[in-house]
Amino acid sequence: MYRQAVALNGGWSDGWWYLGLLQYATDSYVPARDALTHFIQLSPNAGPAIALRGLCEFELGEYPSALQDVERGIAAGAANDPHNQEILLYHEALLRARTGDFEGAIDAYERFVKTESTNPELFVAIGLAGLQKPLLPSDLPADQVPLFKQTGQAGYAYLQGDQSAAEQAFEKLFQRYPTTPNLHYFYAYLLLAVDPAAASAQLRDELQVAPTNEAALLLAGWADMLQSKYKEGLTYARRALEIHPGMPMAELEMGRCLVETGEVRQGIQYLDKIDAVQPNNLEVHLAYVVAYEAENRPADARRERLLCLKLARQEVGVGSQ
Amino acid sequence: MVHSKLLRVAFLAVVVSASSAQKQADMAACAACHTEAITQPQTPMGRALQLPGQDLILREHPILRVHKGAYDYMVQTHGKDSTYTVTDGTRTISVPLNWNFGVHNQTWILQWNGNFYESMISYYASIGGLDTTTGDEQIAPKDIEQAFGRRISVHDAKACFGCHTTNSVSGVDLDLATLHPGLACEHCHQGTEQHLQDISDGLVTSIPQPLGKLTAGQQGNFCGQCHRTWEMAVRSHWHGEMTVRFQPYRLEISKCFNANDPRIGCLACHDPHLPLSHDLAFYDHKCLACHAPPNDTTARHRAGTASLPMAKACPKATSNCVSCHMPRTRMLGGHLVFTDHDIRIVRPGDAYPN
Repeated sequence: MYRQAVALNGGWSDGWWYLGLLQYATDSYVPARDALTHFIQLSPNAGPAIALRGLCEFELGEYPSALQDVERGIAAGAANDPHNQEILLYHEALLRARTGDFEGAIDAYERFVKTESTNPELFVAIGLAGLQKPLLPSDLPADQVPLFKQTGQAGYAYLQGDQSAAEQAFEKLFQRYPTTPNLHYFYAYLLLAVDPAAASAQLRDELQVAPTNEAALLLAGWADMLQSKYKEGLTYARRALEIHPGMPMAELEMGRCLVETGEVRQGIQYLDKIDAVQPNNLEVHLAYVVAYEAENRPADARRERLLCLKLARQEVGVGSQ
Repeated sequence: MVHSKLLRVAFLAVVVSASSAQKQADMAACAACHTEAITQPQTPMGRALQLPGQDLILREHPILRVHKGAYDYMVQTHGKDSTYTVTDGTRTISVPLNWNFGVHNQTWILQWNGNFYESMISYYASIGGLDTTTGDEQIAPKDIEQAFGRRISVHDAKACFGCHTTNSVSGVDLDLATLHPGLACEHCHQGTEQHLQDISDGLVTSIPQPLGKLTAGQQGNFCGQCHRTWEMAVRSHWHGEMTVRFQPYRLEISKCFNANDPRIGCLACHDPHLPLSHDLAFYDHKCLACHAPPNDTTARHRAGTASLPMAKACPKATSNCVSCHMPRTRMLGGHLVFTDHDIRIVRPGDAYPN
């Protein structure tokens, strides 16, 4: 009936919405996606419709557009309802891992993991993000499930705040799977914010297992920077750039570490490269502050400090005061 | 690994006293050449953590009680031993107080069931009693464990002990068996132990890190390792009055901050080896080192910075500068008041600047 109605009146937005909703409910994902696209054209800021289209795309295997829509939908308020929130945040995390944004997936699981769960699929999903496999839990070969599930359980314990249980679980994993890439990296990523020294130790172990692990090299450089060990950070950044020339994150680390170790001009050149393409990158401007102070340019340093404060406020949506 | 750490902790009462005595001997040895090592142990940083039996607050208040929500709290001291107890009338958790954080106000890191907790209740000098630990006001405990304290990881505990003690953190490990309460010389002056050893061997081959040569910006980063740096605060998106206790961050958002001007670094106003001065007039000549009236060169000479450029003089006064330009700010919870190190012209009705 809705299909007939919107055929007669293509401008009837409610018709497209209910048509999309019904078709999604009956697993007819292609027509559901198309109906929701019509609706979104008429109501561009309708968060729930954008998110629902993302879920259709997820079922159709259109993962990049699914992620884009789910994130847009969440930003437009689709996750304000607690039930929707659980579904959408979970899919956002799944999609981030599936599209290769593993750190983003872990961050998404951190927001999602608030209640006790014994869901094995959730553990496998966290394990996939942690061990950097761009797969959905349902796509994982059965013989690999134990590793990913145990990894996910260790990560889940950490994300839930039980860091002692997480440490024990990770120690067991390291003994059981001593050559598995990304296992130490995953734990290091979790530890970084609270204990950069512990993260550094894990990253050294990771680089023993996988010496060319770019993400581990970058994170090792970052962990050293957080501990003001800029010479060591420089070594990791250089190694990362040798493997992957032009990688922005590695260039940012190079820039900051060079500035901090006295090669200020050279460091600024790296920073300028990143700033040209990412003008709102807070880390670049934090590094500029140090660089301009090293060059005794107080006015420029002050300008950068104010910009950093503005960017930090924007990141969390705090209004200026 | 965690268990081994906690086992070590269980033997602390015995081991700490020996370790602490050794550290005191080391500090006395430092004082033979460096007189500041005589006064430093009595500063709030020197007493940033106190062990059972050393704590004046608990000795002077043998029974402290407070009722919060459905829970009754009591901190009781008999001789050298203090206990922290919480009960809902049915269930009770009671543990010894091993580590007392703070001199004027006090929070406790507790151990229960093999985990570390930050006490849900703290002692506040302003009320002479107990109330909710600052920052935990929004926590509505669901059970007695949550009412007992906020569970913290070994990593969080490392941060607490790392700033309030000496020799407890080594790389990735928290080793409370080697803890010295408060900040001893080598907490800040890395290489002190080697230096002492060399001196006793008749050598002057190792000199600890010379902190006096740090620029104002470097001082902020150094002191900010515990007091929080500008960068930490920005990167962590900290906002609001809670940031007033992060002095390096607040100082560096000040319009007058210049990382290369020695008149605005932490050490320009504070000597960490001496007790903090609460006399506002004490700080006047620090301000006047930059803001002296054009015809007054005394303050600049006293600060040893006569050759540096001057800033505008205050049209209102030349004394008690801090009382107007560094307002005292009360934190959420109401019991803690800090001097805001964001030096500025404060106008009535202005919001707290972030």
